[in-house]
Amino acid sequence: MPNRQKYVFAEIEDYRELLETKHLRSKNLFVITISAILGVAVLTYMIVAKYPLQTTLSLMAGFLLLMLVNVACLAFGYENHYFYQLNQYVTSFGIFCLAIAMIFIFKSPSMVASLFIAYAIAAFYQDLKVMFISNTFLLFSAIMIMAEFPEYLDFINASQESDFAVPFFFLVFILVLSISSYIIVKQKRFFYNQIALSKETEFRNIDLLIDLETQVTGRTISLSKYYDNILAFTDAFTNKIQMDNIFVEKIHIMQDLENNTPYPTMHEKYPNYSKEEFDRLDDLLLGNHRKLLKLAMKINYAKDIKIKKREIFSETQFKSFNHQSDSLEIKILAFAVFYTALRRGNAAMRPLTEEEIYNVLVYTDYYYYIDPSIIRIYQENNQVFDDIVTDILGKPVK
Amino acid sequence: MMKNFFQKVSNTEFLPMSEVRKIKIILVMAFLLVITAVTIPFSLFFKYNLLTIIIVLIVLILGFILIFALFRWNKILAAGQISIIYTLALTVFYTLGTGSFYAYLFFFIALTIIIFYQELFSYLTYGTLVVAIGVYYIFTNQAELVSAQDIVGSVYVYACILVLFYLIFLVQILYNEKLYIDLNYDWVKMNRLIEKYQDRSLTYLVELDKRQKRTPAYEDVKYQKALGEIAIFLAEHFREDGKDILNVRDLYIYVHERGLKRVLDNDEFSVSTKKIANRLDKYLLNSRTDMISMIFNFYTKFRETAPYRDNRYEYNLSRLAPSHDEQIIAMALIYQYLANEVCQEDHWDPSDKPLSHQEISELLTSPEMEEFLNAEQIAFYKDNSDLFEKHLRRKS
Repeated sequence: MPNRQKYVFAEIEDYRELLETKHLRSKNLFVITISAILGVAVLTYMIVAKYPLQTTLSLMAGFLLLMLVNVACLAFGYENHYFYQLNQYVTSFGIFCLAIAMIFIFKSPSMVASLFIAYAIAAFYQDLKVMFISNTFLLFSAIMIMAEFPEYLDFINASQESDFAVPFFFLVFILVLSISSYIIVKQKRFFYNQIALSKETEFRNIDLLIDLETQVTGRTISLSKYYDNILAFTDAFTNKIQMDNIFVEKIHIMQDLENNTPYPTMHEKYPNYSKEEFDRLDDLLLGNHRKLLKLAMKINYAKDIKIKKREIFSETQFKSFNHQSDSLEIKILAFAVFYTALRRGNAAMRPLTEEEIYNVLVYTDYYYYIDPSIIRIYQENNQVFDDIVTDILGKPVK
Repeated sequence: MMKNFFQKVSNTEFLPMSEVRKIKIILVMAFLLVITAVTIPFSLFFKYNLLTIIIVLIVLILGFILIFALFRWNKILAAGQISIIYTLALTVFYTLGTGSFYAYLFFFIALTIIIFYQELFSYLTYGTLVVAIGVYYIFTNQAELVSAQDIVGSVYVYACILVLFYLIFLVQILYNEKLYIDLNYDWVKMNRLIEKYQDRSLTYLVELDKRQKRTPAYEDVKYQKALGEIAIFLAEHFREDGKDILNVRDLYIYVHERGLKRVLDNDEFSVSTKKIANRLDKYLLNSRTDMISMIFNFYTKFRETAPYRDNRYEYNLSRLAPSHDEQIIAMALIYQYLANEVCQEDHWDPSDKPLSHQEISELLTSPEMEEFLNAEQIAFYKDNSDLFEKHLRRKS
């Protein structure tokens, strides 16, 4: 098995990041709320327990600073989403610093567990880097307390086995937390990846459909007729509301863009428009796999899609050749059908070469779509697969 | 084997829920094994008599064997539940056996194991139980939990931190539950949409095959032979006579020829053959099945595609065109596309079946359009529907 798998479509990486960032904002809001509640609880305790004002204020200043950084990062996050990411690191760091400060101020074994609260708050972000910060803090804080400040755990009635049991259970707890967080973060990534993957799959399948449609129907969209109609339509509309036809210039620009007029010519003809505006209008064209054509197709196909509740989280939605309910014979046959079909090709798909298939099956997420023992056999004997198919179907041409 | 397992753990993001659940069970079992092993010497210091300790340890070992057996029998959910109950039993064993600080730590370990499964119901029942036992433990063992110069109300601090830890993760699990349901809904919806595209693509592909006089793969003798040889090669790695797999291949081809329903209705076939035929249904090549979807998706990897831009997956008109005049032009273009181009599935003639004005109106005002058009754009369409029909509808 290769050490590191990649997704079959490299494009999904950016979109996944975008999706994660989109949800970071709401996570940040939760973290601020929890931190604020924690701050109020600590303040109340310190007032009730009559701690010196200076100590109380300094700890509260820490909480306030954390809040302010959070609020500022959230505000800047509107402009640049990297502030949301920065915020999660700063907050995780800050909340652990506050937990350690509380341990030093209160010097009580009960406060040692405040480190776990810090971990729980940071775990909200479900991020691998944050997890690393939390684990490092938790581990070093535990070691520091046990090695340098054992008096913080100096119980009146300590049992004999405590000397070994406390460090052991600390270690077990940190390990369980770390592994649990790691898997949960990865699980979350799975969902984001699946969304991103389905978006890319859709994008490419629409492209395929457009090409097949053109091939079968032999028709191309009569764009000049479309734009003439739009001129008539906008004339009628502007007459109806009694104003000049303000649409004319943009319709002409779009017509020129449909005709693939080069940018310098466009700029010369329409000097008031920037490159960004031309790019934006380019997305509103119907010809040549443009964005609006895809939108129009999506509108047409999106009707009557009803999702039943039981379909959500259903394993059957996950297309693979590794269904638990399938016997080994069926898994073997499914893989053989798939592999041979790719090598054979069809009217619209050229036969793929062994190298092309191997690189995707072994180095991308497809590896996990196939039963582990079957993919291992393929990985170790792909040349035999190639020979069998080449003997019978002939060598594919790239 | 270990190496493979750790690689699988590091690639968890590629695995479906069922596989991740298995990994979780293995990891929890490993932890429980270590904790149980350490509990044996620790239990000598507990307040129980020897007989009780022996009985409890035997029960724990049997419990562990049960988890292992359930895992081996692929009863993953049951194995998960038993592992949580096992953790609870260990917690109670520690709670009643000692009043030390490390037993307090055990409550956090127990909660983390329950959190690991990320199941709201389990967390609400077992997690709450752990916290309740934890609070009871704190208040009954106050003397053992305080240090020589402890703070005022340290017992309450212990209890508050345990409850707060539980509550923070409860909020987190609730948040994740909502998020994952939403993400899954979007994913299932998107899959359904892709299947519709592929349905149509397959219709065109069949048409192209016909025009090019190409035999479909499942009728092509060479394809059948190559498929059989590959299947035999694979099967021989698992058993001596791999040729038995040809029976499955023949059944697969037969289902293509006759259709699944006729196979299932035929009394001459055994129940097991019908079962196999039923399972093979999702891998057929003559309709839009999982197999066809996977072949299409795989193939699209080798087609040229536009370079990535931030709005690559953006299909909302307001975000594509911020100004109203551009939105109106775009709507007029969309209308014309729907009115003139290939838009409806027609099994008799896959080449032409555009939408009527009434059908377009129904479509553009349907709830599904909220994803693409905002209320203002839909209202514009409704107000000017007559102009759309007059100037933009299909002219014969």
